[in-house]
Amino acid sequence: MAYEYQAVHALDGTIGAIAERRANHLSVHRTTAVAMVLAVPGQTAEAAGILLSSGEFEARFSGPGEWLVLSEVHAPETLAAELSVRLGDFAFVVDQSHGRVVLTLSGPDAARILANGIAVDLHADAFPVGRAANVLCSHLSINLARTGNESFDLVVMRSFAEALVDDLKVMARSHDLSVDFATR
Amino acid sequence: MASLISCPHCGTRPKEEFFIRGDATPVRPALMAAEEVWHDYVHLRANPRGRIREHWQHVAGCRRWLVVERDNFTHEVFGVTDAAKAGEGAR
Repeated sequence: MAYEYQAVHALDGTIGAIAERRANHLSVHRTTAVAMVLAVPGQTAEAAGILLSSGEFEARFSGPGEWLVLSEVHAPETLAAELSVRLGDFAFVVDQSHGRVVLTLSGPDAARILANGIAVDLHADAFPVGRAANVLCSHLSINLARTGNESFDLVVMRSFAEALVDDLKVMARSHDLSVDFATR
Repeated sequence: MASLISCPHCGTRPKEEFFIRGDATPVRPALMAAEEVWHDYVHLRANPRGRIREHWQHVAGCRRWLVVERDNFTHEVFGVTDAAKAGEGAR
């Protein structure tokens, strides 16, 4: 028997998209290649070197010897295999492309909106571009990364994505926020 | 304040990001140790006031187990170390 599988985004039909672009914008990525990399004990430096030397991966700190790796170059179907080949015996790789949802919050009030639910200093001096951390946002654990002066990436577990978007809307109540799927 | 814990991997974070397991001082006895020794280890806990060592897990951050040394009366935190490192030192 043949089945037809259809990829449905965790947030399809749930975010109450506000298409009209406002000062601050929360963009929901349709497909993102995400993988979790855990270095073999004692091989953290080697694994980090391989991840950082190639411009194809964006390694975000998740814990000691542990990164959430995103890629614009590789497809969700191939990222984990590609990483496994490159990292060899230095690390373990688990595909997370369909397990996580990636959101980008950008705009002049991005840090202020996040500060309503995140107890980490988000000033550009304390949390510079390129820094990433696992943080508690309201009551959800997310990976937060600063991708620009006024833009942040939030990576959340798929089943918590709807709750996170709801929380972000509440956190942004006194700011101008629009929400929509990324066009790309 | 004990409500801010300095995780050695993630920096200063609020206590809401952590799970607290309890006393970090009991040392696991040998497998064939006497029953009273095991009873002590599993069930009996002192309830001191002042400086204590506890196991905390940074569940919303790096998910590592930490040993937090703090004062349960003044809420002062004296030090936070990764439990793996703290274990190496004890051995």
